[in-house]
Amino acid sequence: MIRAIAAREWLSAFRTPVGWVLLAATQAILTYVLLEVVDDFTGTEPALRSAGINLELSHNLFGTAAVLLLLAVPLLTARALAADPRAPERQLLAAAPVSNGDILAGKFLALALLLLPVCLLPAALGLTLLGAAPVDPGLLLASSLGLWLSALLFAAVGLFAASLTIHPVASALAAYALLLMLSLLSRVEQLGADTLGVLDWLGWNQHLFWFLAGVVRLSDLAYFLLMTACFLALTLRRLDNLRLA
Amino acid sequence: MVAAMEVMLSVQGLTRCYGRTAALQGLDFSLASGEVLGLLGPNGAGKTTCLRILAGNLAPSSGRVLVDGHDLARDPLRAKRRIGYLPERPPVHAEMRVDEFLDYCARLHRIPSRDIPRAVARCKRQCGLDGVGRRLLGKLSKGYRQRAGLAAALIHEPDLIILDEPTDGLDPVQIREVRGLIRELGNAAAVVVSSHALSEVQASCRRVIVLNQGAMLYDGRLDQPRDLLLRLKRPPPLSALLALAPVDDAAEQDGGFRVRLAAGTGADRLAEAVVDAGWGLIELTRERTDLERLFFRSIGMESAA
Repeated sequence: MIRAIAAREWLSAFRTPVGWVLLAATQAILTYVLLEVVDDFTGTEPALRSAGINLELSHNLFGTAAVLLLLAVPLLTARALAADPRAPERQLLAAAPVSNGDILAGKFLALALLLLPVCLLPAALGLTLLGAAPVDPGLLLASSLGLWLSALLFAAVGLFAASLTIHPVASALAAYALLLMLSLLSRVEQLGADTLGVLDWLGWNQHLFWFLAGVVRLSDLAYFLLMTACFLALTLRRLDNLRLA
Repeated sequence: MVAAMEVMLSVQGLTRCYGRTAALQGLDFSLASGEVLGLLGPNGAGKTTCLRILAGNLAPSSGRVLVDGHDLARDPLRAKRRIGYLPERPPVHAEMRVDEFLDYCARLHRIPSRDIPRAVARCKRQCGLDGVGRRLLGKLSKGYRQRAGLAAALIHEPDLIILDEPTDGLDPVQIREVRGLIRELGNAAAVVVSSHALSEVQASCRRVIVLNQGAMLYDGRLDQPRDLLLRLKRPPPLSALLALAPVDDAAEQDGGFRVRLAAGTGADRLAEAVVDAGWGLIELTRERTDLERLFFRSIGMESAA
């Protein structure tokens, strides 16, 4: 059941230009970033940087990819649940013997599979340097995992925002607001707070940072899984209430 | 009538409010397998709201819907397995091929994988989709998309079929085919068809419910014989009319006569007899049904009835 819904969503993404444009745009921007990074390490003057090429690759390529995903995912999720309740697709699912949990799981699985190749693009670009530079595949793998987990969190936040309103634009804006809030939480120290406590832990970017440094910590894995599960649970609760609206 | 057969749908005190507006007000009815029920009413009467609630798409503000004994609110998955629903706009995915779409619908309705090809082939045959299995739904005409929606509603052989304006947008040939299909489905399943067209309901349904502003105005059968209305230039005494062979019974009404034909005769025989008698035939029409009178009254056109 979940598989059938996910397969249809995935098929829909690639039968329409959505999936291809996402992949092509990400590829084009990341290729430019890769050339910028490589440029620092070529030419007559060697790079005078403290970080090696591996850290430069992971921070620049994966950091840029994370920002691109933050911008793209709310647009992908905006119509996933936000469509008019009388829209044909919603009516088809609502009339079928399928629970809201199955629908949400199917949509989330489709997004996870759609975002997986996008998250593997930076690693694939990094690996093109394999014969020419001492690229660390382990670091790229850890960074890819971190990026995918971040994308899953963005997808869960996007789905939650999509369940709040039937208007796709409003749901995308709500998702941006939520994600920006989660991005800025760990920067509250700039406002003068000495200790951030739980606020520091809630920001997603510092957890991704450890993956980009090649460190896969259980606490960071737990953060992404817990936050994603939390937003999915909120979405499910909202969907269950929606029928009464 | 319903008690003798298996009750497939039971609606009890169904009410639905949007803010302060009541779209449905305490609907009560039941439907047995083998019955075709027409839900008739002007636009905004609450037909679509009623069908969406019956299909499990919308929760009622109060009241219960039981499908084959399963409460749609408490046991929705079990109840929905018995329901096939065609909404107002066919729920098709433009980017899917017809075969893919029906396969997807079969999976949504939990048909085992090994039975899906047979179910898809049956529905395509039933709905006239045999030649278009590989075509993208977005490239098909409105009529074919409507048929695909109908096929999707029938893929799991539901016991309760709910069709919201099923012939909307179809050409006359397709309309005739769909009406035939509805009658065929009505032999085994319970079917609810909504329409704002009297002719549509009269052609496909054996029972009708008239809705207006969310309230049920009429619930009755359509297959009872109707009388004829006869107007003559030189009206004879009633006894002379009763003496004619095609007349079983007659009564004076509004300056003319209401006539019930004898078994085995037709209106043409009555017309012939009246002309032969030299009474000057002015008008011979079928009497409007209660349904028509009620319908016109409900939309505020009582004088037209």
